[in-house]
Amino acid sequence: MTTAAIAPDPVPERRGVFTAELLDRCISCGFCLPACPTYALTGVETSSPRGRINLMRALETGVLPDDDPTVQEESSFCLGCRACEPVCPAGVQYGELVEEWRDHLWNGRGRPWKVRPLLWAVDSPRRVRAMGIVRRHAGRGEAPGPVNLMLGCFERVLYPRVSRDARKLAGELAAPAAQGCCGALHAHNGELGRGRQLAQRLGEALPGTIVTTSGGCGAHLAGVLGGDRVKELSQWLHARDGAVVGNPTAARPRIGLQDSCHLRHGLGVWREPRELIARVGEYVELPSAAGCCGGAGSYAIVRPQDSARVLDRHLDEIAGADLDLVAVVNAGCYRQLQQGVKRRRLRTRVLHLAELLAGVK
Amino acid sequence: MTTTATPTGLRERLEAVVGHDHVRTDEGALVTFSMDATPLERGRPDAVVFPATADEVAGVLRIANERGVPLIARGSGTNLSAGTVPHRGGIVLVLTRMNRVKEVSGAELVAVCEPGVRTIELAQAAAAKGLLFPPDPGSQSTATVGGNVAECAGGLRALKYGVTRDYVLGVQAVLATGEIIRSGGRLVKDVAGYDLRRLLCGSEGTLAVMTELTLRLVPAPEASGYGMAYFPDLAAAARAVSRVLASGVLPVTLEFLDQVCIGAVEDYAQIGLDTSAGALLIFGQDGDPAVIERDLERMAQACATEGATSVRIAESPEAASEVLEARRAALPSLSRLEPLTLLEDATVPRSRIAEMVEYIQEVARRHQLKIGTFGHAGDGNLHPTAVLDPADEGAVGRARAAFGEIFARAIELDGTITGEHGIGLVKLRYLERQLGADHMALLRRIKAAFDPNGILNPGKLGS
Ligand SMILES: Cc1cc2nc3c(=O)[nH]c(=O)nc-3n(C[C@H](O)[C@H](O)[C@H](O)COP(=O)(O)OP(=O)(O)OC[C@H]3O[C@@H](n4cnc5c(N)ncnc54)[C@H](O)[C@@H]3O)c2cc1C
Ligand code: SF4
Ligand code: SF4
Repeated sequence: MTTAAIAPDPVPERRGVFTAELLDRCISCGFCLPACPTYALTGVETSSPRGRINLMRALETGVLPDDDPTVQEESSFCLGCRACEPVCPAGVQYGELVEEWRDHLWNGRGRPWKVRPLLWAVDSPRRVRAMGIVRRHAGRGEAPGPVNLMLGCFERVLYPRVSRDARKLAGELAAPAAQGCCGALHAHNGELGRGRQLAQRLGEALPGTIVTTSGGCGAHLAGVLGGDRVKELSQWLHARDGAVVGNPTAARPRIGLQDSCHLRHGLGVWREPRELIARVGEYVELPSAAGCCGGAGSYAIVRPQDSARVLDRHLDEIAGADLDLVAVVNAGCYRQLQQGVKRRRLRTRVLHLAELLAGVK
Repeated sequence: MTTTATPTGLRERLEAVVGHDHVRTDEGALVTFSMDATPLERGRPDAVVFPATADEVAGVLRIANERGVPLIARGSGTNLSAGTVPHRGGIVLVLTRMNRVKEVSGAELVAVCEPGVRTIELAQAAAAKGLLFPPDPGSQSTATVGGNVAECAGGLRALKYGVTRDYVLGVQAVLATGEIIRSGGRLVKDVAGYDLRRLLCGSEGTLAVMTELTLRLVPAPEASGYGMAYFPDLAAAARAVSRVLASGVLPVTLEFLDQVCIGAVEDYAQIGLDTSAGALLIFGQDGDPAVIERDLERMAQACATEGATSVRIAESPEAASEVLEARRAALPSLSRLEPLTLLEDATVPRSRIAEMVEYIQEVARRHQLKIGTFGHAGDGNLHPTAVLDPADEGAVGRARAAFGEIFARAIELDGTITGEHGIGLVKLRYLERQLGADHMALLRRIKAAFDPNGILNPGKLGS
């Protein structure tokens, strides 16, 4: 406010890449820096939420071009974990901003080549169904009921037991096999429009309440269809019965939890899985339980090295606490932790919360 | 912002000091270090450097000094006076890699740490040994101890415990010419030489770069308790504050919200505030539980005597947290009203608070602005906060005019243009009005003695 040289630029032209109200929300206070896993890795603000919002603003006003290498790098280095949201005093919806960012940069040629086959695979309901055809997941040729279990695309293939165990816990869940992808993967990888469309279609295929076993899918679906219709499994079970699902055993295994980022930061669900776990074993809160494990949807595939660096701290803590089990509430975290635990040869078993509750008799 | 290349050879020389990985000159990184928490101000640096040791800091300073390149020390960039905005370009020196707490001693009641330690980390390290580092700026989860000392940060506990300067025992600093000095140390009593550590406190990166701090700690209080009172107007609340202090109580917390803030908080947080009240006072005490009970009682009594319409003492920690929520939610609630939030810190003697806040409301009306005021009633530190839409170009101009009047009034009331946020770039033009020409000239001579080539944060304090 002092000299002409530092007078603010006249109100800059906007390119319309971002929704103005979302981008204007940020007051640049920097409170989000300590919450961000990628800032913790680099210590450079450019890789922080405030840094990225400033890159977005520079992009929006044309100060930086679309092909700026730092803009490109940071849009992909960001985990999209939304840990920056709950700490923000101004209520910045960073998750929405990063989706708009990638939608602009990656739609077309910019998208990392490694995610293209993934997006292709889940783009059509037929292909999604084909993916799970040889595995025994819960889906069958039944009609939707009042409450329907969503079958995650990759979960069907990688962890078919999860949906079966969810049905074991709650027989009233219908699981029609005729359902496609929720579109979260599209939305997080620069195909915002398609991501929303897929969510809408899934909402039509599964009228009534949708219960998901995956925090990432849950948050995306709730964002499109509304939180009344979409519930994550632990949230739904907890609301139905309180923390009484599953049978306690005499053994009382030591069990940790890896929060799903979008479940915790997007849907605000974190107490429920903890209380459910505490019923079947001794719950151990890992210091970084709430922090991203580095799985982050397709991140582990697109940026394996950074993903492993983010995971390291979690593995150190799991080893340090000498856990019997660690529970997950999202398929991506499942894969990430399972691989990490295997690499380190830890004795800890990784299980989805549904498996844990159904299996520990 | 125009794009220009890095000055010839600068990058290579910096790399020789801190290593290739710790120099950034890519345009994207320069954008992200062109600003801090201050709205509207920015300037493109030439390079951003991340040193790990005092020797590396010295090496970078020698290069800057030799080439006459501005050097801007930076912690977490949360200051609100554009103190880290490189408006004349140059090197931004980020100190967050120097983030070790080297020692916390219960026996000596001192902590030694590097400047890039975050305030909360220092506080937690102290708490683990039953000790308290009292300065608690609202930004403590992000801001660095180096930044706190360089701004002489205040906080919510200042009335009882003082501000950052009251806890700085010793400083190691690198001069603009590259020499490393120490002032003070672990001693409570030490009068050898001018009190340079105090001079560096609040020097805003214009005199030297601090590379190690020795800080005083105090025993942690056993417990704390809180209460709140509504008043029909701010004048009554201010009288209650005077009555509290005259009653022999030195409270740890005395925070107020004006009517605009109460309304904004209730709209956003919906915590059941009485929006018809003219002012809300939040009071608190820490220490021995019996003393807390007695003091809360006395404060409640003082409020009632001065016409509080309702008074409440929190009976449980949860209730206390509810009471404090109103204050915590003030900035978040105001900032959600409009895209641009201008947070100021004009400060007046305690006895003039009501007068000042009424003036602020009058100025807001005259300039058609929305300004909510909250702050520290115990020490007169006000936070008039204007919210506006920058697309409305007129509004930014009106806000600047309004704050000019508010600062002038603060000076008239024997107050200051800044209680804790610093002069930086944005308040230099008001400083002479407060200090006078002779005082300004002395500041410039001090600055020149420390920094003969004027490379340290030029165009700010001391310029
Ligand atoms: C929402 C919000 C709330 C705030 N609440 C408070 C509050 O309650 N009380 C308060 O006092 N302030 C408050 N502040 C202001 C700010 O957080 C403080 O001024 C804080 O001390 C800055 O620390 P930093 O690490 O971010 O420093 P920076 O912003 O990075 O730097 C601040 C100044 O210090 C200089 N500097 C930094 N490190 C060094 C060093 N090692 N050696 C020499 N100079 C250095 C810089 O050049 C600059 O001039 C608040 C800010 C925000 C955004
Ligand atoms: S915490 Fe929120 S408002 Fe503050 S810098 Fe981060 S995103 Fe912006
Ligand atoms: S989404 Fe996660 S990685 Fe990305 S900026 Fe926010 S906290 Fe950092």
